[in-house]
Amino acid sequence: MPELMDPITFRTALENAIKGKSANKSPFSIAWADGRLSRAHLARWAENHYHYVGPFAEYLAYVYARLPAHMTEAKDFMLSNMYEEEIGGDRHTDLLIRFAESCGTTGARVKDPDNMSPTTRGLQSWCYAVAMREDPIVAIAGLVVGLESQVPSIYRRQTPTLREKYKFTDEEVEFFDLHIVSDEIHGERGYQIVLAHADTPDLQQRCLKICEVGAQMRLLYTTALYHDYVEADLPLRDLDIAA
Amino acid sequence: MPRVVFHKHDQVFGDDVAENSNLVVRAGIRKFPFPHLTYGCGMGKCGKCACQVLAGGDDLPAPNWKETKRLGQRIDGGFRLMCQLWITHDIELSQDDALNAAATGQI
Repeated sequence: MPELMDPITFRTALENAIKGKSANKSPFSIAWADGRLSRAHLARWAENHYHYVGPFAEYLAYVYARLPAHMTEAKDFMLSNMYEEEIGGDRHTDLLIRFAESCGTTGARVKDPDNMSPTTRGLQSWCYAVAMREDPIVAIAGLVVGLESQVPSIYRRQTPTLREKYKFTDEEVEFFDLHIVSDEIHGERGYQIVLAHADTPDLQQRCLKICEVGAQMRLLYTTALYHDYVEADLPLRDLDIAA
Repeated sequence: MPRVVFHKHDQVFGDDVAENSNLVVRAGIRKFPFPHLTYGCGMGKCGKCACQVLAGGDDLPAPNWKETKRLGQRIDGGFRLMCQLWITHDIELSQDDALNAAATGQI
């Protein structure tokens, strides 16, 4: 039977649970970082990514509503994340659409759910299911710690490439710039909530498990993007990786 | 660990922060310089987190495109956007909300 971990040990365990299946390891992410994708590939990414991150405030809203009233700080943190995602500055999805348009697609195509792959639909559905059905602390571990907190490390790697190799302008890649800062805040808030409220060995283990599953889901999503849109143009053997 | 000294409303606050800390991220999770540091969008747009660097500015990277766009000539006066900086060395900062609001046309 696992014992209750102290906050430092638990945080390390959460980070390791995510790291094992980081989306940085997917062929799509590797091709992106190596500058091997075309603008058309990136347009397909944007058309899918919109349907994964677009409802993020909705996922969080379900969790917010189910957090007990006495968890005031946790509720406030979730509310702040929702506000910042939508109306704290520019709406994040508007910046995603700006990037998509610079890749040659349109806002209408990005918003059209018929343009997402079945795997993206699966990831979106998993996010809704976790938000609605899991213990709210476990849901925060999955959605905010497991998924959102990964974003800064992914975009830190990808954003310089977008400027240097793909020759996008600063304005075109602002979506990625802002996420390096805002998702760091959001991810840290998620860690604070989970570290404070996962206060039994069982709850801690469930948080670790859902982080692992969340990271697997993101890896599944990005791997499917590669197979659905890139593989025909850029086979695995040309990527110097074994998937 | 870098030492951050923060001047606000004729008061001075200070604390050590982990290397590569972003002060807006810290304030966002209610750690020093919370509740003293005012910030807004966290994306380099609103200018509410602008601070004048009183000491330690030489250790900072050059202003990025967002700071250049948002702060304009204020950069020459030593102003930086805290949401765009990761602190690696000791730094002394001053923030004036009224000045920031006037500079960004919010009053």
